[in-house]
Amino acid sequence: MAQSNSKIVKIITKKDLNTFVNNLIKDKKYSVDGVKTKGLKFVFGPLENASELLLDYDVTILPPKKYFLPPHETLMNFNLNKPFNVKESDVEKPRIIIGVHPYDLIALEQTDEIYLDSQKDDFYKKRRDNTIIIGVDIQKVSEKSFAASMKTHVTDSGFDLMLTYLGDRYAATIGSEKGKMLLQKYGKTKPALESDIKKISETRKNIASKFKKKLNVDKEQWSNVLVANYDHPIWEKKSQKCMECGSCVMVCPTCFCYDVKDEVSINLKNGSRVRTWDGCLLRDFTLIGSGEVFRDDISKRFRHRFYRKGNYLPERYGFVACVGCGRCGIACLPDIADPCDMINDLSHFERSDETDKFFIKQKTEVADKGIIHIPRSATIKRMEQLTEHEMLFEIEFDDKKAFNHKPGQFVEVSIFGVGEAPISVSSGPASSSSFEIVVRRVGNVTDRLFKMKPGDKLGIRGPLGNGFDVKSFEKKHLLLSAGGIGIVPMRSLIQYVVDDENRKKYKDITILYGAKQPSEALFMEEFGDWCKTDDVKCELTVDQCVEGDCWTGCTGLITSLYPKIKLDGYDSKNTIAVVIGPPIMYRYVIKCLETLGIPDENIFVSLERRMKCGVGKCGHCQINGVYVCKEGPVFKYNDIKNLPEAFE
Amino acid sequence: MKPRVAFFDFSSCEGCQLQIADLEEEILDLIEIVDIVSFREVMKEHSDEYDIAVIEGSIMRPMDEQRLRKIRSRCKILIALGACATIGGINKIRNQWPTEEVVKEVYKDADIKDNEFFNAFQTKAVNEVVPVDYYIHGCPINRDEFKQVITSLALGKKPVIPNYPVCVECKKNENVCLFELGKYCLGPITRAGCGAICPTNGSPCDGCRGILSKPDVECVMEILQRYDLTYEELKSRCTLYNTNVFNPKDGMTLIRRGKDD
Repeated sequence: MAQSNSKIVKIITKKDLNTFVNNLIKDKKYSVDGVKTKGLKFVFGPLENASELLLDYDVTILPPKKYFLPPHETLMNFNLNKPFNVKESDVEKPRIIIGVHPYDLIALEQTDEIYLDSQKDDFYKKRRDNTIIIGVDIQKVSEKSFAASMKTHVTDSGFDLMLTYLGDRYAATIGSEKGKMLLQKYGKTKPALESDIKKISETRKNIASKFKKKLNVDKEQWSNVLVANYDHPIWEKKSQKCMECGSCVMVCPTCFCYDVKDEVSINLKNGSRVRTWDGCLLRDFTLIGSGEVFRDDISKRFRHRFYRKGNYLPERYGFVACVGCGRCGIACLPDIADPCDMINDLSHFERSDETDKFFIKQKTEVADKGIIHIPRSATIKRMEQLTEHEMLFEIEFDDKKAFNHKPGQFVEVSIFGVGEAPISVSSGPASSSSFEIVVRRVGNVTDRLFKMKPGDKLGIRGPLGNGFDVKSFEKKHLLLSAGGIGIVPMRSLIQYVVDDENRKKYKDITILYGAKQPSEALFMEEFGDWCKTDDVKCELTVDQCVEGDCWTGCTGLITSLYPKIKLDGYDSKNTIAVVIGPPIMYRYVIKCLETLGIPDENIFVSLERRMKCGVGKCGHCQINGVYVCKEGPVFKYNDIKNLPEAFE
Repeated sequence: MKPRVAFFDFSSCEGCQLQIADLEEEILDLIEIVDIVSFREVMKEHSDEYDIAVIEGSIMRPMDEQRLRKIRSRCKILIALGACATIGGINKIRNQWPTEEVVKEVYKDADIKDNEFFNAFQTKAVNEVVPVDYYIHGCPINRDEFKQVITSLALGKKPVIPNYPVCVECKKNENVCLFELGKYCLGPITRAGCGAICPTNGSPCDGCRGILSKPDVECVMEILQRYDLTYEELKSRCTLYNTNVFNPKDGMTLIRRGKDD
């Protein structure tokens, strides 16, 4: 039997292909979708008859991504009157998609790498498993496509069947057992001859020559070209023409960022948590509860999109996250989104050898924690109002399983009907199933938390993210600096290191804490307990005191505390410094630490971003190529000090 | 206690309230979560005791302004409903001319002197008179968005209105871009939330949900040039709902991109 690249090939006449498709439709076992016209364009859509199917299209408006990550998808349904009566959403009947081009198949394989990693996305997986893909080799090349330069114009994988047009008939290359069975059951084929195989390979070879749009550099060079031009004026210049309409990210087969929100029926009885397409180009993409926006400037968001495709994802997963389909180039009205044009423009410029700048090399995989986005049921055990705006909650998992977190990790707190918010764990590690968080009332979720009472149920996902490696701090002095509510995650570390069982593992501990004003200072009583022995020192300061305030600490910014610290008693090289605070604080405090002679490799920070999925998929928390929810929120300063977006 | 809601209409066609009346059996769900104490289109009762005031229509006269201020002083939350209220909308077309000229053109020689009903000033959106807490945009409003705002408020959360252009929703609907068909579409500069209903049905967007960025910016000029369209035509399309965008004195309702309203 003749084979192409060790795959079995069958020959099917045009008429028999029609019958095959009609048989699939008639069977009603599958939803059969294929390429059809929409006005002057093409789309994937449900087929009612094989005559609608067009296999000689150039490109569809949206990629087949929409079948696996729909623009609007229900993750779970809930009942607002019976908290925690959560139902996962059902999956549709099996689907066959006919007419997928090689670049779209490769884009799906890339999506698999991200969505089916160690923390797999079950919603995506179910659809992927449930779908049979019949590809087709490109017959007409889209004007804006540069797939040949990306080597995505042909492929050997990612399909169940692959059709190649041979003039009067089609060759069907079998890519999987499913594809083989489908062809056997519903179609009439002949085995391919050696001459057919030859014709397939000639046809495929010819495709490349049909592409008018070409890259000046190898796709392997994208990363270098971008890294060398991060500060180039081209980002500012081109982005001035950007309308922030998000079209480029909406039509992209390798843009898979999403938002999650709760929708509620008008009688407030039922609701669902839905996932919708989101894009890094849109301003609110990085908006956090307190109102802060990261990458506020359009030129930065514009640049981010190109870097994500050409540097961040390639460095992480090993592939350029652009398949050259040209859809963004078509969709972008001012014509600035085309990656081929951008890379070609940049390739003219000098490049430096700088690399390793925008991502963290080490792989910090999140452990499998069940189905992503489905929280565990928990109960509020205790609430304690700490200040006007801050409340402490003790929360216990209803399954009573131990929480086992590391200091510095966070959880996603979920209130059905309202939404989810990332909150730092504020208590030290314990073997119990309960833990504490402290919440500042800033957004919808936190506002609702304030109105809850002990005994109320909520959902928890986590612990998530990278915490402090407390083992590596052993036998060291600790200098802990917290600003504002940075003391909340810091408390999880402090409770651990001052605990009787662990105290002896660490040398002297100094805690510096700066709050805006005395009424906002947190854990004042606990500070007293923490420094009951001489080897734990606490220095407190507030930005300002007004008359009538009761305050015995210092007044001034936290940076005013550092000159007081005498590190000559013990050497600074053996001091671990931890900094947690508002974005503005880091640069100044780290300068103070450097003045004290603490080496950068001994400094640790915890950063705040919009952590949404918590498992490195939705894209919201990205700082350049780093996922804060995965590699952070706790970072070694050394690892991220050169990340341009980290301390902006 | 359920929040008490009252609807009020100023200069408008009352079509946005009609959209709510059109909820049909869902009205029964609505009155389970809120007490409607005033809604001229569907009931004859009225009460001045309310928590949420929903305002439809533009403010055209001193007497409207007085009435609106009174409503604001009585309610805890004020919602602007529909384009006339949120951006001035169609009623602002007349702001292109001095009010006296407009009045003269319409009423000719009729005796309207000293009649306060005809004492008009330049059209104002609701937020040009009193602070607005939430906006339900559109001409008419999108019923789903109304439901989302009401359920959010009933649950005690802040309603979220999209801060990005219609293109996002249009792309999700997989529409053929109307620019490619040579049409003037305001989708790229108009606030989303309508589900791109007009482009999805083949009509260009007219910007009824408010303009996010000024239409005379470089990017728009670039597009017009590329598609061989004229700025004058685009400008005249903008004035259907967004005359304010071109009136520097009247620019306060322009929501610049990148800033929350």
